[in-house]
Amino acid sequence: MNLNLKKIVVNATFLVGALSALSAFAHHSTTMFDKDKISTITGVVKEVQWTNPHVAIFVDGTVKGSDTPALWLMEMTSPGNLARAGGWTLNAVKAGDKVVVDFNPLRNGSKGGALKKITLVDTGKFYTADIRAQESANLEEKEQK
Amino acid sequence: MKRKFLGIALSLSVTLGFISPFSLAQQPGKPIINPPPTAKDWTNLAKLPDWSGVWNPKITDQDKQAKTNMPPWTPQANELIQFQLAEEKAGRPPPLFVNCLPEAMPSWMLITHNAMEVLFTPGRVTMLGESDGNRLRRIYTDGRTHPEDPDPTFHGHSIGKWEGDTLVVDTVGIMPQSLIAISEAAGVPNNGDMQIIERIHLVGKNELHDDIEVIAPKVLTKPWKTTRIYFRQRARKFDIVEGVCLEGYFAPGKDKYGNDTFIPVQHDVGGNRIPPQ
Repeated sequence: MNLNLKKIVVNATFLVGALSALSAFAHHSTTMFDKDKISTITGVVKEVQWTNPHVAIFVDGTVKGSDTPALWLMEMTSPGNLARAGGWTLNAVKAGDKVVVDFNPLRNGSKGGALKKITLVDTGKFYTADIRAQESANLEEKEQK
Repeated sequence: MKRKFLGIALSLSVTLGFISPFSLAQQPGKPIINPPPTAKDWTNLAKLPDWSGVWNPKITDQDKQAKTNMPPWTPQANELIQFQLAEEKAGRPPPLFVNCLPEAMPSWMLITHNAMEVLFTPGRVTMLGESDGNRLRRIYTDGRTHPEDPDPTFHGHSIGKWEGDTLVVDTVGIMPQSLIAISEAAGVPNNGDMQIIERIHLVGKNELHDDIEVIAPKVLTKPWKTTRIYFRQRARKFDIVEGVCLEGYFAPGKDKYGNDTFIPVQHDVGGNRIPPQ
């Protein structure tokens, strides 16, 4: 890959990342989360609330750059959207799983965020939650190719 | 004598359980019966275009149209929209839909982030949504007209007819509180007398387009046209699932007897659960 092409790919990846940061939930806008900021928490899943219109995951852990462990709340879109957009299932992430979560934190400083990516430490498997990552027909067929 | 006769007639009506003189004046004649479908009615459904599967919306196009295809708001409506847009930009998105009432017409076609399915039965097209406020539209294709004075509902009274492979839907009788929303954080109540005309059709094999015209004289200076796009999914794992909006305001728990029950969880004004303190 020549340097220019690499630059384009890196920029495109950044752009996709920036666009996905605009992801919204099922029934409200998400500008209460700071889309320009990505935080990372490493910890253990305490509880998963697999509910409409928003799924929530509670993570007990430490946010990068901090040395105080705490319980954090991660909000997401609906179960149906997570299935189509991120390959989630009810049991994709369970209480007790060790995880690393990238998220857009709440602007008001509370211990909450909009989940962007969750990685299961034991398997390396990860799930994203970009509601706009489902914009083509027959998504499953494309995944299988 | 005349008054006495009227009194007897009224008493007789009430005694025999007849319809009141008021409704008699409004709806003379026999009650309208919906006839049972015939075998031919069921066979004819096979001639309609194939809209089976699950349809999820093109949200990026909704986003784009919120900027490029603004409805022709009245000055007063525009003032509210501009305020809402500024609030959203400031990180305080107006919580238009977090009460979990139906997104209603036309908003659930305009700004939904969730999938739907479309069912054909004789004389009816039914749209069923996933998640959010109990979305369900009944579109009558049996040739009926709108009621003269329909009771307003969230999704209105819809009649449809097929023009080739396009379903043309006319909807009236929508609650005045129903929002004309351009996003989940910006919308104006239609304030009554709204009419919505839709032309729903396939584009290619797997895109469903809804060409929508909103006529809302209380808040729009002229009719507004827009198109909303949906993608077809056939994978079984994407089948529509039950999605009760209010479910998110509860967590599973136990009552004092040990029974499984729902425990209300605290939410902020924006509809998010309150983070741990």
